[in-house]
Amino acid sequence: MSELYVPSPTHGLTGESVSLQDIEARVLDAFPEITADVVRDELTLHVAPDQLVEVMTFCRDDEQLSCELLADLAGIHWPAGDHIIERQASTTGWPEYRTSREHGAIEVNYILRSVTRNHWFRLSVATPDDDPRLPSVTDIYKTANFHEREVYDFFGVEFTGHPDLTRILMPDDWLGHPHRKDYPLGGVEVDYKNDKFIPPPDQRDLREVVD
Amino acid sequence: MAIDPNAETRTGRRGRGADAKRDREVELYVEGADWETVVDAVEDETLTVNMGPQHPSTHGVLRLVLELDGEVVNKLTPIIGYLHTGIEKSAEFRPWVQGTTFVTRMDYLSPLFNEAAYSMGVEKLLDIEVPERAQAARVILLEFNRIASHLVWLATGGMELGSTTMMVFGFREREHILDLFESQSGLRMNHAYIRPGGLAQDVTDDFVQRCETLLELLPRKIAEYEDLLLRNPIWNDRLRDVGHIDAQTCYDYGITGPLLRAAGVPWDLRKSNPYSGYEQYDFDIPTESAGDCFARFLVRIEEMRQSMRIIRQALDTLPGGPVMVADKRIAWPSQQSLGPDGIGNDPEYIRHIMGESMEALINHFKLVTQGFTVPAGQVYVPIESPRGELGYAMTSTGTNKPYRVHVRDPSFVNLQAADVMSRGHMVSDVVVVVASLDPVMGGVDR
Repeated sequence: MSELYVPSPTHGLTGESVSLQDIEARVLDAFPEITADVVRDELTLHVAPDQLVEVMTFCRDDEQLSCELLADLAGIHWPAGDHIIERQASTTGWPEYRTSREHGAIEVNYILRSVTRNHWFRLSVATPDDDPRLPSVTDIYKTANFHEREVYDFFGVEFTGHPDLTRILMPDDWLGHPHRKDYPLGGVEVDYKNDKFIPPPDQRDLREVVD
Repeated sequence: MAIDPNAETRTGRRGRGADAKRDREVELYVEGADWETVVDAVEDETLTVNMGPQHPSTHGVLRLVLELDGEVVNKLTPIIGYLHTGIEKSAEFRPWVQGTTFVTRMDYLSPLFNEAAYSMGVEKLLDIEVPERAQAARVILLEFNRIASHLVWLATGGMELGSTTMMVFGFREREHILDLFESQSGLRMNHAYIRPGGLAQDVTDDFVQRCETLLELLPRKIAEYEDLLLRNPIWNDRLRDVGHIDAQTCYDYGITGPLLRAAGVPWDLRKSNPYSGYEQYDFDIPTESAGDCFARFLVRIEEMRQSMRIIRQALDTLPGGPVMVADKRIAWPSQQSLGPDGIGNDPEYIRHIMGESMEALINHFKLVTQGFTVPAGQVYVPIESPRGELGYAMTSTGTNKPYRVHVRDPSFVNLQAADVMSRGHMVSDVVVVVASLDPVMGGVDR
């Protein structure tokens, strides 16, 4: 089944462990355009979409990185506009965060894990949210198949080269991509027995529900 | 489907188009004639059969589309989504603490693992350390949950192969473990007992005693299962050399947990990336080299024994002290003792917030109505669930609600391999393969 994957001779925790700094240096040596950051002991490599396949193949095949597993693949929607978090910093004590984005983006995070060398890190790829498009990595890791279908289903990201990019968790005829931030929670027309339309939670008239 | 036009049968073809995609667009219809001659007339015998979505032996609402050549599976396509409840989306609209009540309903056979992974994600974002007693109690409950989950796998797997005895045995012992959970959290399943910062409340006075009773009971029962199944000819014939998968294919399909260990890789996040104090306990990672369904059975049986070893050590060294972090901005008062009505109403605490300190009352009110805020950032927290790597990828923007919670559910990932595992096997082996994957559809569909 894995004709694209040349089996590595090491199985299970035999390799020398690699520190996050070494991983970062190793990848940045090969791909100087990549930016990296380490926050909370987690290494994130920010990769451009057109480089994704190349970088991921390198991470899998490189002797020192040897990432056998694509552990996770998930999307996050960052819509355009100002996002000021209204909180009383004086009582909560946490620093305040303000963000502002000119262009909306969908960020897709790939978690790559090495079993033999016991490390993991994150590849972060961003694509504009009005025309989200990324190369599929199903040729590198077969496990990406379901994950990419899920991201397509929830965020509408088109993975070019995916063998069967269809909805996976929502019904086939569903409209919209529910995990985008502009998609409301509730307020979807559903055929109930009494033909009743259930409005979104923030627009519900509770008295009506009681009646 | 193509038909030999010279065959002397009363079969015919009904074309849909003049010459477009002739091979695919033709329907075969049969009017009388012997089946043998009809079959001879057909070159490609591939038959597409639907299994599910409510087949009793498909672990919840799973649908499989099988492409069969005779009785041999050529291709298997899992179709999922029937149990999708939008938990990840709903969690974005509730405070951080309430997230535990959502995620515990995903993988309903290992609810505590979901709670623990979620809570550990929030704790990593908050950068707080959970008290030792809470960590040890978490380990004990998680390992009991692992045993309970494996018991359900054994019970349902046995039932699917016709062993109703195993089904009754498995559920019987699981009920004892659920009794323990009920005594601690109030609920058999979906506990919401492990919370960000520690536990919802301290374990009861008879907690250790209850665990001891279970530790005495379970080894005898597990030996009983082995007596029943290990040399059982039907069990051996159905499981051995079925659903074979090697380590490299496991890597390719992202498979972790007992399936990877049954393929010979000693990979366990409890050992490789210890969390919640697992580094203190001495235990082995059971592995098998065969990589078939029988190897998975052996691995899971041995894992139950190893879980009991961990529980034994954790009970012996169970430390005292609080079970919730001391930070009043985060901690719900966990020292509240249960009243006769089963609801925590510690008179000391009530006196403090109602009679002594206005600030404490305000803090309590804000904590209950708004919850706490969590610093911005992204984390990925993986733990070893009974089915493999359970990962929580959480994003906070600094508010009192998660910006995004993504769950890497092991069932969801492992289910993809059902295709490669059942190719070349008979239809009846598909049931064995799916059972050995141990998918929980609540986790797959989320």
